[in-house]
Amino acid sequence: MTRCPWYLAGPLLGLFIVGLRATLNKPLTGLGGFIDLAENAVAPRRLGYRAFLLFGFVLGGALFAATLGSFSFSLSYGTAGGLLPDAQGAQVALLLFAGALMGFGARTAGGCTGSHGICGTSLGSPASFAAAATFFGTALLLSRLYTLLPGGKP
Amino acid sequence: MTKKLAGLFFGVAIGFILAWARLSDPAVIRRMLLLREPDVFLLMGSAALVAGVGARLLRAAGARALVTGEPIGWSVDRPRRSHFAGSVLFGAGWSIAATCPGPIAAMTGEGRVAGLVVAAGLMVGVVLQGAAEKRLAARPLSTAGAAGQ
Repeated sequence: MTRCPWYLAGPLLGLFIVGLRATLNKPLTGLGGFIDLAENAVAPRRLGYRAFLLFGFVLGGALFAATLGSFSFSLSYGTAGGLLPDAQGAQVALLLFAGALMGFGARTAGGCTGSHGICGTSLGSPASFAAAATFFGTALLLSRLYTLLPGGKP
Repeated sequence: MTKKLAGLFFGVAIGFILAWARLSDPAVIRRMLLLREPDVFLLMGSAALVAGVGARLLRAAGARALVTGEPIGWSVDRPRRSHFAGSVLFGAGWSIAATCPGPIAAMTGEGRVAGLVVAAGLMVGVVLQGAAEKRLAARPLSTAGAAGQ
């Protein structure tokens, strides 16, 4: 499968973030779309640009699969690089748990990998640097620890 | 309406890049987290560099946002305890699923619908956090109410 090299994908992503700034004066966010949708589910209200950004991510993924990739409908998440169990039940439970941790944590921290890690740091936000250093530090350390698990494959 | 269209347009463009660079593949993120390939770090760094230069140029030129008409500008935060505590939880979740909110959406669009399981978890976490924060914010009021009785 084609993979866009970082020196093309990175600057392109940066340009699209500038595009968001130039048109809406808004930051990149993945988490914000989930917040929009969750708030809407709890009490219906109008969805903002963040939800549409998220819908766009889905469509963009589909567009890639339909053009450069190979669209294949799959129910399997895979093992995320060897960590997750193959057993469907255990995998679903772990993925739900991981998602909830990310949702709770990122909303507490006011952002995720995109909004703090790329966008906030690009604007020189000290809070974003603190958040990014913390989630990178945590994830790098934990990923290393998982390799020590009995039968740890990654 | 135009705001939503602009959001959708840039969402499609960014989702395409996320998928094309394989950030939507948890195996790629796992290799990054195990420091087995530098590509994702370099991608994020170069994206931040371009985004930072672009945003500053727009602001220096006194540009106004094309859709909303507001002057281009932003404010930044000082780090608070919530930035650290929340990011520890986020990092822990990230290390398990090897994906994050944007890529999970792109992955789902690519047809790997198991991404919806993580998305459902994200929604649960976001709702729980909202409820927890509301309860925390309401605490002084309820104490005052109890004291008043």
